[in-house]
Amino acid sequence: MSKPKVAFFDFTSCEGCQLNKLNFENDLLDMLKLVDIVEFREAMDNRADEYDIAFIEGSISSPTCVERIHDIRRRTKILVALGQCAVSGGINAMKNDQPSEWVRETVYGEDKYLFPSLPAMPVSAVVKVDYEIRGCPMSPPEYLHVLKSLLLGRKPELKDYAVCVECKLKENECVLDKGMFCLGPVTRAGCEAICPSFGQYCTGCRGPVSDLNKDGAVNMLKAHGFSEAEAIKRMKMFNTNDLEKTISWGAK
Amino acid sequence: MQSKTNTHLQDLDYLFFDEATLRQFIVYLQTRAEVIAPHAKGERSYMYKPVKDAKEVVLNYPRTIQPLKKFFLPPTETLLTFKLSDNQYVEQTPEPGKRIFFGIHSYELQAILRLDYSFEKGNPESNYLTRRANALFIGISYKPDAYHFGKSVGIEIEKTDGFSLFIEPMENGYFIFIVDEAGRTLLEGFQAPQTQALVFEQQEKEFHNKIKYHHNRLPEVFEHAYHSDVWKDVSQRCLGCGTCNLLCPTCYCFDVRDEIELDAENGTRQRFWDGCMLHDFTRVAGDEVFRDKLHNRTRHRLFRKFKYITDHSGELSCVGCGRCTSFCPAKISIVEIINQLIKDVSEVKSI
Repeated sequence: MSKPKVAFFDFTSCEGCQLNKLNFENDLLDMLKLVDIVEFREAMDNRADEYDIAFIEGSISSPTCVERIHDIRRRTKILVALGQCAVSGGINAMKNDQPSEWVRETVYGEDKYLFPSLPAMPVSAVVKVDYEIRGCPMSPPEYLHVLKSLLLGRKPELKDYAVCVECKLKENECVLDKGMFCLGPVTRAGCEAICPSFGQYCTGCRGPVSDLNKDGAVNMLKAHGFSEAEAIKRMKMFNTNDLEKTISWGAK
Repeated sequence: MQSKTNTHLQDLDYLFFDEATLRQFIVYLQTRAEVIAPHAKGERSYMYKPVKDAKEVVLNYPRTIQPLKKFFLPPTETLLTFKLSDNQYVEQTPEPGKRIFFGIHSYELQAILRLDYSFEKGNPESNYLTRRANALFIGISYKPDAYHFGKSVGIEIEKTDGFSLFIEPMENGYFIFIVDEAGRTLLEGFQAPQTQALVFEQQEKEFHNKIKYHHNRLPEVFEHAYHSDVWKDVSQRCLGCGTCNLLCPTCYCFDVRDEIELDAENGTRQRFWDGCMLHDFTRVAGDEVFRDKLHNRTRHRLFRKFKYITDHSGELSCVGCGRCTSFCPAKISIVEIINQLIKDVSEVKSI
């Protein structure tokens, strides 16, 4: 049996999620025994026509992105959104809250007409996404779990509970109790609570849990001494699209 | 509901240790078994862990983050390892040696006794029971903070059931009460320095946090609580993060997951703590989630503590440790919920 063909593509992103994959020095060679990587711009020159699994990094934010992602979707059996930009628009979606003309002018100045731009969208806003690997950057153990599951023909088990669960399993001291800010109670787990485990707070980079109590979260942060404006601003950093629920086209 | 007799400390034999002697006693215990005790954790928290240096053991603490259940039902545990190609598996059975749990509060041991009930009944949980078999407990009294409410659920600070020894800290040292024969044997092996004979006088300690009704009326309150507005009110503030479940000393639900190695051949079956406050807890085949709403999950959690298990065991499944409230990011108070239910019920009854 031939090995499954795997490809990686980047859209609007910092390419950090892909880079994170090249960092699995201990597992990389074992992984290559199981799959053929047929396209991976960051690591090789080869191109291919068809894929069994395509991993997509980055948000969709220009007409060219839309064309490319449709083309990839046509050529792959399974499509996985890799990292928060691909899953929700991520940090790129912060611009969706601003007037689009102003955003383009700020970035491109008088050449703004040469660079058509769309609001930063999740891949799933344009094509069907089969699985999502969240996080900024994506978490390597979760990525390996999804890859192994797909190779074995199993449905990956992705977590839809709060980072608090992983903190409690590790018996971390609560960062809110230390007087710090934290979005752990409403952010999806799967990162092994890596930030709180090392004394940082959760910035919400994996997006909110699916049954988010948004008002409850704002009130919780207010009770811990943060203003409503600050609470919403910090929640929106990675999650503008999730919190607005509709994609703003910037026409303000 | 049956109430067990609460041994009064005055009726027990005791010794008096000063600070240095108590620390020596911990060192002596370490020669007999692995000793597990509360330690400082982070900036302002506490956790149980095996003693390395008797000086680091903390005796004045409100509560630890994880409850004692972590030593009998670990947060994550490998149940078996397997091989895909030949369909073989090897079970991982725990082999704990003798363990002494030192400096334990009464509510914590009462929680273990409730877990015993749940894991012994029906299909006995062998991993839990194996770990439980070799455990010995040395209790200590505590000063209730704003969250403890043990007395409201029938668990006094000095409830000694299940302990071998019980420690009452005083200003200048510690009274060590002998509760059972295992405790007496432990003390006899320790060459305690002679101290002057002090007479113990029990001091009342006040609980600041209280449920309005006597604990034996609470299951009756829950007879009328199912359709209360309290559940929806609470769910406005609740974030569904599951902290209350995971840190509850009597919550025992778990999930099981298989993970395959990168060789796509060897794998492990892992068990880890789960909780009924989490959205996916009730996700079943076909993707149905039958407690989809937060208020249904909050209600279920409270009913598990005050009605469902109590109907079988005769004991409340809440021990008043206050973890679910003190560690709740939204500071939702279980005592306030129950007092509101009591208020609702008494209003209905007075009509």
